Formats: sequence, structure tokens, C-alpha cells
Amino acid sequence: MARSGRSAQKGVRRSPKRLVLGVLIFGFAALIVVQSAPQIRQFFNPVRASVGDRLGGGEQIGLWARLTGRAAQEQRIRDLEAQVRDLSRYKAAAISMAERLEAYEGILNLMGEPPVRGVTARVTSESEGPFAQTLLANAGRSQGVEPGSVALNEGGLVGRVIQLGERSSRILLVTDFNSRVPVIGEVSGVHAIMQGGATSSGTLTDLPERSDFIEGERILTSAEGGAYPRGIIVGEVHQSGNDWRVKYAMSEGSSGYVQLIPPPTIERPISAGDLPAAEGTPGASPAQGARR
Amino acid sequence: MPASFLTRRKQSLWSKAGPTPRLIFGAFLIATVGLFGLTRNDIFGLSFAWPHAALWGAVGWGRVGLSIRPMIILIVFGIVQDVIFHAPFGSFEVINLMTYAASTAIASEFDVTNEPLIAIVSTVMLFIAAFLLLWLMASTLEDHPVRALPLVAAMLTTGLLYALLNKVFDLGRKPGETVGQAT
Repeated sequence: MARSGRSAQKGVRRSPKRLVLGVLIFGFAALIVVQSAPQIRQFFNPVRASVGDRLGGGEQIGLWARLTGRAAQEQRIRDLEAQVRDLSRYKAAAISMAERLEAYEGILNLMGEPPVRGVTARVTSESEGPFAQTLLANAGRSQGVEPGSVALNEGGLVGRVIQLGERSSRILLVTDFNSRVPVIGEVSGVHAIMQGGATSSGTLTDLPERSDFIEGERILTSAEGGAYPRGIIVGEVHQSGNDWRVKYAMSEGSSGYVQLIPPPTIERPISAGDLPAAEGTPGASPAQGARR
Repeated sequence: MPASFLTRRKQSLWSKAGPTPRLIFGAFLIATVGLFGLTRNDIFGLSFAWPHAALWGAVGWGRVGLSIRPMIILIVFGIVQDVIFHAPFGSFEVINLMTYAASTAIASEFDVTNEPLIAIVSTVMLFIAAFLLLWLMASTLEDHPVRALPLVAAMLTTGLLYALLNKVFDLGRKPGETVGQAT
């Protein structure tokens, strides 16, 4: 075996570096043993957390991104990722609630809301003149948009289709003075009518005398009148003097796209004379309660 | 004279570099691989070498003998490894320093620079010993035998990459030694 023979030459005098190495190894081994005590281990936790944040926290924008001028993009990506994480929790909760709701509706034999169909369209022009406040979207009858369709964006309710072409739709915004939306408080359950009239907030009218909204609660469509489906977010309620005003949720979403969903369809009740005659069918049926 | 002149001209920048630039470049490479490994640990199903890349330095730098600067660098890398692995402080410092000590001990006993077989076998043994020590330490500190397969995969990756990159961790001569003194 090839031996260098250096050890034989240096064997007599001990290198101080060897001593340093031995002391370091012994010292770190002692440090490991000492940390078996939880109190001492906890002493290192702030250091560990701080170094961990620096190394892998992922919250700070990296030097490379700063040098290449992509810091803003990186920040935006991180913000969106955080938003997606938050939304995924809501999604899971919504799926769970939808399943429960379906089960409850099944138990109660209740007619639930029909599944939402819709067309996403791009907003091609926006009218904020002295006349009606409207949007023009690039989807119409040929894309499956129906008269009276309800327009939504990422924030919430935008308005309602008032004019329908083959390839375009005109949407009356909820901010328009002539717009009236039946709404309900998400927490308080108080019903009212939201009247448009300002670009940032609408006014709540026809409130009940003995109950009030809760400051900051969300306002949803109540589906009264059948123009809007129930539960679409309209905005957030705030008190202004003696009035309750709704800060529009639609202003939070400004991607330039709207989703057009068909208005809720409620079957016209048939007159008693047109009902099919019950031919001695045993058991309960919806027609049993009808007066003949 | 012309022949020796030509030989000298053919020398690469790396072969002319002293221990300090080589040490700095090696540490930079370990840090770069480490930073890369922080964001992405798997490539084509293979576990990337981080955070075991510091072992390249421990094995390679030990081949020229003991020195203080590599020890300090290995301790710094050890602290980073402790944080990443959430290991008790001192664990990776001990592993790095013991590997370094073993590497220097082998280099002082055997001619690892001129005997390729010894160089290869000693390097393989050092990596095996380092990962065995890591497994033993982790199993002891965690109170149960930790999974060995990921460590074996990491060891293979580390060893294979070291086979490609070992020149980077060759300091050439002992820090502080002049060219003529190098053995």
C-alpha cells in the first residue's frame, strides 16, 4: 500500500490545527447533547426561525429578481398565490356546504336553485354619461345570452342585460339611478331594495322599521321579484347618517370581463282547471293540496 | 527552454490558481448548489445533492491536510444545514468536521494524489461513513430509526456529482504552502 510517510515525519509534533479540530468536534457534539434539554433547545428557536426566514421564508423578493427588475412581478405572483391559498379554503368550505345544502333540500323536498349556466364576455365599451350607465359586452343571442341575463364580475353583481343583440349585450349597471335590486343582509337577514345613483355606493330603501343591518355585513341579492338569482354578492353595507349605503362589490373586480348568467325562471302556475285529474293514485303528490 | 516555455503556457488558469481562490470557488459552488436545492429538490426523480453538498468540500479540502479556513466554511455550511433539516444545532457541523478530519487522516496516511485506486476507495468510504454517521445521529436524536433509502439516494447523487466535480474541491496545495513546498 502506498503510504506517504508524512505521518511518520509529523507524528512527533502535534499540530495545533488538529487540536482545534478536535475541540470543535467535541464542542459541537456537546452542543447536541445539551440541546436534549427542551429549555436549552428553545433558546435556539429564535435564531433558527430568523435564519429559516432568511433562507427559505419565500416572503422576500430575491436578489436576482431585484437585479433583473422583476421584483414587482414576483410580488404580484406571491400575492396571487396567497389569494389562491385563501380561496382554496373557501372553495373547500363551499363544496362542503353545497353538499349539505343539497342533502337538506332533499330531506325537505325543497326546490333548490337551478345550476348556473353562463357566458363570459369581454366589456367592449362603458357608458358613464348623463344617461343610463351601461356596459356593452361582446356576447349576444348567438352566444346563448338570454334577455334579462344577470352580469357578474370577480367582485360581484354588475347589472342586468337590458338590450340584446346577436353578438352583443347592453348591461344596465347597478350603479344606474334607475336600477333597483332586491337585497338581503347576509348576517342580519334584513330585506331591502338597493337603489343605484352613485358610482361608489347605492342607497338601501324600503327597510323594515324594527330591524337594521349590521355595519360592514355583506349584501346579497334576495331573488325577490325573480329578476336576480339569490345569493349574488352586491356589496358591503355602511351607515351614512340615517341612511344605509352599499359599497359596490363590482368595483373590486376590474379585469374587463363579465359573466352573463340567465335570469331565474319561475314556472307560471297552472290554473286548477288545467290540472291532470288524479286517478286514485295512492300516496302523497304535489297536486293533492290543490283545491278542485 | 522552448519546450518548458510551451508547457508553462499550456497551464490552465485553474492549475495556476492557489488554494485561496480554489477554496472560495469551491465554497461558492456548494452555496450555489445549496441555493438551487432550496427551491427544487428533485430532478428527474433524483434527489438533488443539497444539503449534502458541503460533504464535497469536507472530502475534497481534506486531501491536502488540515487548515482553519475550510473548517470555518464547513461550520457555516453546517449551521445552514441544521436550519434546513431542522436538526439540533451542531449535528451537521460534527458530520462535516468529522468527514474533514477523516479525509485529512487518510491523506496523511496514504498517497491519495498519486494512487487513483486509493483516491477512489477512500472517497467512497468517506461518503459512506458520512451518511452512516448522519443516519446514526438522526436515528439517535429522533428516538427511532429514520428512513435509510432517501439517505442512500442522496449519498449516490452526492458521490456521482463529486466524481464529476472533484477537481473543483482540490486545493492543489495546503493553504499557506508555497508552490515548491507542495508534496
